[in-house]
Amino acid sequence: MLRNDLPASTAPAQRSLTVRQSLLPAVGLCVLVLCIALSLALGSRPLPLSTVLDALLGSGAGHGRDADADVVTGLRVPRTIIGLVVGAALGVAGAVAQGITRNPLASPTTLGINAGASFAVVTAIYALHLTRPVEYVWFAIAGAAATALAAQAMARRAGDLDPTRLALGGTVLAAVLTSWTSALMLTSRRTLDEARFWLAGSLAGRGLDVLTPVLPLIVLGLALAFAVAPALNALALGDESAQALGVPVTRIRVLGGLAVVLLAAGAVAVAGPVAFVGLAAPHLVRLVLGPDHRRLLPGCLIAGPILLLAADVLGRVVVRPSELEVGIVTAFLGAPLLAVLARRAAR
Amino acid sequence: MTVLPVARRAARHRTLLLCAAALAALVALTALGLSSGQASMPAGTALRALVGLGDPGDVLVVQQFRAPRVFAALIAGAALAVSGSLLQRLFRNPLASPDVVGVTGGASFGAVLLLATGASQLLTPLAALGGGLLAALALGAFARRSRVAVGSLVLVGLAVQAGLAAAVNLMIVRFPAELASSALQWTTGSLYGSTWPEVWAGGGAVAAVLTAAFLHSRRLSVLDLGEESAGALGLTPARARLHLLLLTIALASLAAALSGPVGFVALAVPHLVRFLAGPPTPATLALTALTGGVLLLGADLIVLHLLPVHGLPVGAMTATLGAPWLLVLMIRRPAADRSTP
Repeated sequence: MLRNDLPASTAPAQRSLTVRQSLLPAVGLCVLVLCIALSLALGSRPLPLSTVLDALLGSGAGHGRDADADVVTGLRVPRTIIGLVVGAALGVAGAVAQGITRNPLASPTTLGINAGASFAVVTAIYALHLTRPVEYVWFAIAGAAATALAAQAMARRAGDLDPTRLALGGTVLAAVLTSWTSALMLTSRRTLDEARFWLAGSLAGRGLDVLTPVLPLIVLGLALAFAVAPALNALALGDESAQALGVPVTRIRVLGGLAVVLLAAGAVAVAGPVAFVGLAAPHLVRLVLGPDHRRLLPGCLIAGPILLLAADVLGRVVVRPSELEVGIVTAFLGAPLLAVLARRAAR
Repeated sequence: MTVLPVARRAARHRTLLLCAAALAALVALTALGLSSGQASMPAGTALRALVGLGDPGDVLVVQQFRAPRVFAALIAGAALAVSGSLLQRLFRNPLASPDVVGVTGGASFGAVLLLATGASQLLTPLAALGGGLLAALALGAFARRSRVAVGSLVLVGLAVQAGLAAAVNLMIVRFPAELASSALQWTTGSLYGSTWPEVWAGGGAVAAVLTAAFLHSRRLSVLDLGEESAGALGLTPARARLHLLLLTIALASLAAALSGPVGFVALAVPHLVRFLAGPPTPATLALTALTGGVLLLGADLIVLHLLPVHGLPVGAMTATLGAPWLLVLMIRRPAADRSTP
């Protein structure tokens, strides 16, 4: 329906884009599989891929097999699955957030979601003396949802949802909540000690049980996101043009915002606030696949997990036998990446 | 340009009125800040003590402890607010703040790194200043060499910021709890331990840069018209932007050296001023500086005197104080105006 509205391009460019389109999903999937394999094999104790396969199939035999199999099935498989889910959620959430606000700087962080979740979790640690990531999940979801909905409520006005207000309201709320989080941590040394590891963002030390409450949220969020994707293309032309094309602008913004909330709340509840994947994945994908949201979202579904798993693997390898939290690695990795992207985009 | 002269004059009157109100608030808060505390005294006594008259005990308390902190708050607040205002107009993005040019990250990184080495805390402002300037100048050099457009420069700035924030975060996670606490305290922004040398040096530098910013503000209005019009009016947009960017970087770094990267002032005050006084003029820039100082000083006084908990960073209070105001204004205001603040 909206194909005609896409920016017209010259024929050779169109052709090269088509070739890219047919090749890139395959390339992306290959990279993703590679990341999964590395995530299963590498760690403080690197294992050969054959051992990993044996452990996965439960068929291996020989000495030392049990310990290795336990490492793979008990620790690395859950961690990898969590990484896949969180990465996909963050990537798509970032793309939709940038689409509905029409702001290339928007990400789940901009809408106040990470700050809301962090504040709720740190408050829970402070008041209820919680100590395990599984126990944080519901608080994180509640905090993220409350903040994001508050930001949306403030941006709504006479049935209209103003993207600038949405981004500004989210940023303001995030600033307030972040400062309160710091204040809580500064008044209680115990809270600081517990919370700082969660706040760094990590995939480690969680079982698959953390996924149970968030999986429905993420699935619903993905469904919503893909449902609004074509309308996001129209939104990119400006509100008036979109309206002229018969797109219900406000409803799309609300639904898209809901998708962002569901996805980002799920992600932060599982892994803590992991910065940058949500911001960087859409920019990366846009660079190779163009701005069409119907391609951008599937692209982010692959690029998000690739970024997150690659960062996690790297974090396990660089300071072995200790490891870096994935949130710290994504920021370190993502920073130069984004700089390069900006530079290429400028040409 | 299209504004009717009458409306323009009315706006100017309102701005002047607001400036006067902000100035009055500033004086009142300064007097309050100098006079209240454990040994509270009448405002008149405090002001006389500031210039060295009256009871030697009072003079000591006011001159040594209260005054540096009050002035540091005023200077840092003004610098932050003006830098935020200029950045938001330069980048045409209402979310821009010193974060976007890497200053906050650089200053935090410098200061926390210094904490990690265990060097004297007196050096922290210098480390912060150096870190902020280095990060931002690296960004500027990158932009110049690769001719990145302003819009994309925001992305690069965010990248620099994110990388530096990650480094700070890494240190906070790996530090022993004691050190992590002071690192977090600093990176939230606080005015504890402000000293006269800091205030004099910082104040002088901020005053110089602010003057330059005022002199440049006409160019900024030309830039607001868009690249082509600016070019037609005889301005090289790229160079004018670069100059203004350097000024904002200097302001934000100086503020970070004085108070740490206090959040929210740079983001919110420009919006507040725009809501209250309308489109930017040189006069609103002055109002921005005054409001920033008032907000930061007010927040610091609350942190010092009204809260039951001691040792909270002032950054936590600026956001708490400023946010509801900004949000209410945002909700009440019609959505029509989407231009840059």
